[in-house]
Amino acid sequence: MKQGNTPLWEFVDVSKAYPGVLANDKVCISLLEGSIHGLLGENGCGKSTLIKTLSGVQQPDSGKIYYKGKASQISSPQDARDKGIATVFQEFSIVPTLSVAENIFLGNMPVTRLGVIDWTTVQSRAAAVLAEMEVDIDPEAITGNLSVGEQQLVEIAKAVAMDARMIILDEPTAALGEEEIEQLHGLLRTMRSKGTSILYVSHRLDEVERIVDEVTIMRSGRVVRASGETEINVTEIVSAMVGEDISEHYPKEHNATEEVVLAVQGLKTKNGVTDATFDLHRGEVLGLGGVLGSGRTEIARALFGVDRLTAGQVHLNGQLLTVRNEMDAIKAGLALVPENRKYDGLFFNFRASGNITAASLDEISRLGVLDLGSESEGTKRLIRELEISLQAEQKTVNFLSGGNQQKIVIARWLFSDAEVLIFDEPTQGIDIGAKIAVYRLINALTRAGKSILLISSDHDELLAMSDRIAVVQHGSVTRVVPASELNHDDLVRASAATAEHPATEEIQ
Amino acid sequence: MKRIFDSQLIGPFAAMVIVALVVALTTDRFLNPGNLSNLSLQVSIVALIAIGSTIVIFAAGIDLSSGSMVALLTMILAQLLKFAGLPLTVAIPLILLAGAVLGLVLGLITSYGRIPSFITTLAALIAFRGIALTFNNGSPIFSLDPNLEPLFYGKFLGVPLPFYYLVIFYALASFMMNFTKLGREIYAVGGNPAAAVLTGINVRKVQALTFLIAGFMTAVGAILMSARLNSGSPNYGQTLELQAIAAAVVGGASLAGGRGNILATLMGAMTIVIVQNGLNLNAAPSSVQNIVLGGIILLAVGIDMWRAEISILLAKIFGRSASSSAGGKAATVKEQ
Repeated sequence: MKQGNTPLWEFVDVSKAYPGVLANDKVCISLLEGSIHGLLGENGCGKSTLIKTLSGVQQPDSGKIYYKGKASQISSPQDARDKGIATVFQEFSIVPTLSVAENIFLGNMPVTRLGVIDWTTVQSRAAAVLAEMEVDIDPEAITGNLSVGEQQLVEIAKAVAMDARMIILDEPTAALGEEEIEQLHGLLRTMRSKGTSILYVSHRLDEVERIVDEVTIMRSGRVVRASGETEINVTEIVSAMVGEDISEHYPKEHNATEEVVLAVQGLKTKNGVTDATFDLHRGEVLGLGGVLGSGRTEIARALFGVDRLTAGQVHLNGQLLTVRNEMDAIKAGLALVPENRKYDGLFFNFRASGNITAASLDEISRLGVLDLGSESEGTKRLIRELEISLQAEQKTVNFLSGGNQQKIVIARWLFSDAEVLIFDEPTQGIDIGAKIAVYRLINALTRAGKSILLISSDHDELLAMSDRIAVVQHGSVTRVVPASELNHDDLVRASAATAEHPATEEIQ
Repeated sequence: MKRIFDSQLIGPFAAMVIVALVVALTTDRFLNPGNLSNLSLQVSIVALIAIGSTIVIFAAGIDLSSGSMVALLTMILAQLLKFAGLPLTVAIPLILLAGAVLGLVLGLITSYGRIPSFITTLAALIAFRGIALTFNNGSPIFSLDPNLEPLFYGKFLGVPLPFYYLVIFYALASFMMNFTKLGREIYAVGGNPAAAVLTGINVRKVQALTFLIAGFMTAVGAILMSARLNSGSPNYGQTLELQAIAAAVVGGASLAGGRGNILATLMGAMTIVIVQNGLNLNAAPSSVQNIVLGGIILLAVGIDMWRAEISILLAKIFGRSASSSAGGKAATVKEQ
């Protein structure tokens, strides 16, 4: 914590109630200039409510707001912008078909006296903003062609362009790879040094540890730890968030056997897999380590029949597997829990039952007629076993929390009795309690003899939950080692090696 | 997963009852048996075609071709009966097959050809009527078969036959959507095609099948159209596709796909026909009828969209007792 700074914005006893729930209960938070302030808590703890109040989307029911020590208010999003508050939301608000410069000044275009857009100024000021941020992005590039990480930076450039002194980042790294996260963090440090106040909301505690100066932790609408009260280390933060002593953040069970279930040899696709060879054992969790874009997801896609193989062989239980499409893969006993459960995983028009049985309609039907009795029985059993909210039986899944939704996607593959499960970022964007539930689920699956291919950008998670790790660089598996022989630095170094010396560099 | 009679029916049912009450109160002829029987004849063709249109919509597609396909199929039927001299028992199955095949072709172009269904069926809307004009030099064909008219005007146990067709086909469609694998897959494809692919559902096949069903139901409608007028004409079925889509929308089907109840489409079709009937009985000109129909469509979708605001308003007016149930509904709409 930096001493001697005046708070830029300060909330004192701010409360906000929604029908039936006190979302913010006398919340106090003080945001300093030139400081990165972490706001943490499980889903539904009141973080979003606080952010909405700070960005002027809603008004608090009671409490005081101070700006540089003087009583103030934030009466609308426009008022918030005028007072230098910028919010970068989880879902990007950029227009992919416009150029970077156009996006930066969207809604705020410099115009000439005739009311026509002043393109010269747009270009030069956009270039100046990007230079100030020390970001190497062409202002004339079409934003949709940039990587997700660069798009995120453009999003922040919008905030910088409007001279924001207070920037709210809501889960800024959810879609980013390790390298891009580093780039983002670098930018945040630069902005901090220029006196900007940053409110940083994230579920990725390892990141919080790395970047944040102060931390406020919320639970059920209240601040349980104010800044300065908690050491910034993961164990303490987790305990404060969950409200109990979490001794086992990663409850790993070792269920791996020597029996090879899936043998992958010389896999190659047109989509970035150059040479993937590895074995997956019964009851094992094999982690795929590497940066975003190293080919981890592409290997999963190739196995699952999304991308066609140009070379290589896959054997399942000793039998040669021919997978031409997703349907073949599922029939063979493979399952993919996709990275983006919102877009690729869930049917929001269905309740839990329809979601859980979606991959097993053949098994629960005879002559094309569904056996709704066995469907509801199986659903009830899984809801109980996985401790999914009981509401899931009655309501469509859009009403459920991210953790419950993720459990439902996984439950689908328990119901279908898949043998090999590919988990692509299974804990992304869900809170710590739900993460632990997913880890326990992974244990239950491996105990039952299932095999799991785990892809995760959270290195701690990958190291803790995998039995072995296959390091992926440029679409090829460079080596497979026991997880206990690797540490966080090895994985980061492998990533760095990829970035600096493509193709040749081996880790260590 | 779904019940046949679920909460999605309440709105369309209430709308139908309210409209019927208004019409019954404004004219004394509405409730006489002759008019009611006429009503079921009037609704039958559009309601049968709307089964197909709705199922296509459930899978997030749209079918604009049905009106023109009706014209084309009545011309083919007339040709078969009058000039080829085929008996009804052969001609009718052939027309049903033709409808299914035409629908399947549109479906294959849409799903495997990756052309949006709006475009595929818009092209068909234009082309089918053109093809219909190539028969008999573009002139209608009259007096087809003495046994054809009874299919539409006939009665069984004193009830018009089209009433039975409605019951049978809606029962089948409801069974399919609620109790079969295909029905579930249709909702899944409409709800989230990307997730459907990753769960092993053959998305393209399912999409194509919805158009096959739509083509078949259009053929049923075309046969009844021919029977009603004992003729075939390239001018039949104008705007029928839009009425069928309107029935689905008034019934609450989401054009984004994945949501809706097939029985609500029947109520949507009834609502539209009752309004038209009421205007007819009150001697309103057809210009007014069209304007009112447009208004109904907007209102039906509007009520669905503004349900949150409306229930908050109602809760304010009627106090706290209503607020709990209204809150639930408000949330439903928001999430959608």
